[in-house]
Amino acid sequence: MLTQDQQEALQEIANIGMGQAGASIAQVFDQFVQLSIPRILILDADDMAGALAKLVDGGQITAVRQAFHSHMRGEAIVLYGEQRCNDLADLMGYDQKLDHVAEIELLLDVTNILVGACLGGIAEQLFIDIGFSAPSLMADKVPADALLRAEDVSWSSALLVEVNFRLEKRSFACHLVILMAEEEIRAMGDALDRFLEDCL
Amino acid sequence: MTVSVLVVDDSPMARKMLIRSLPSEWDVEITQAANGVEALAAYRTGRIDVMFLDLTMPDMSGYKVLETLRSEDLNCLVVVVSADVQPLARERVLGLGAIDFIKKPIDAQKIEAVLRQYGIVV
Repeated sequence: MLTQDQQEALQEIANIGMGQAGASIAQVFDQFVQLSIPRILILDADDMAGALAKLVDGGQITAVRQAFHSHMRGEAIVLYGEQRCNDLADLMGYDQKLDHVAEIELLLDVTNILVGACLGGIAEQLFIDIGFSAPSLMADKVPADALLRAEDVSWSSALLVEVNFRLEKRSFACHLVILMAEEEIRAMGDALDRFLEDCL
Repeated sequence: MTVSVLVVDDSPMARKMLIRSLPSEWDVEITQAANGVEALAAYRTGRIDVMFLDLTMPDMSGYKVLETLRSEDLNCLVVVVSADVQPLARERVLGLGAIDFIKKPIDAQKIEAVLRQYGIVV
């Protein structure tokens, strides 16, 4: 669905978006963020749940989703692992554990920052407009393979762009996944072609 | 004199973009490496005058490359080119001996400015 050149361009563009998101989150937590190499996969709906479970190494996850629209449409999902609860309270300098509501609010905020910076960075490089809906809680402490089962999604194949953020001195880590359906991937392919023409 | 340049990035696209951003009048011989291990191998094999080095890479990060070069008495100019725009990333690489840190997306003018500053391009 994407050519080798388009995939390579997207990976580098995602890398730059991830860098911007990492810098934003570093500022929020006042901690150095270790970045990963972004991964780009095109998956069938049947394979999505398994791929997500693999990303987070099993265990229970909490997921926040945020839709994006305008010239680039799809959904970003940020996955938080089991440890995030105590870590977040600690990171924000609270003495006590966060109550559930405060914790979810914090996760929504963090998601908004990550998604805005990362996808905003991608859209900026492709010279396309992007808008965001408010983030919402998608799943709270569920097994990773219960997210995005084939029967729950409306597309047959999707682009998965995965970037990881890990705080250097804490166990807090999260994964940002960008999902786009087939026709949106093709539109992205056209934008990537324009990008390639301009810069190579 | 021909300047020997090593471009290190795991992304072939990023390497292409960087090479394209080098000053056109610059007389260079370009070698490419896709990770830190390859970069060190290229450095040890031949003369490298200038290295453009990415940070986040599989098989040895740019940080590790800088540390190794330093322990081997680094004798090339390293310009880090990275998407990691945290201020601390810049501080760290300068502390490890890089002469400058250029943020991605790459800007040809910024590259030329650094090369002129160090008299690599006149």
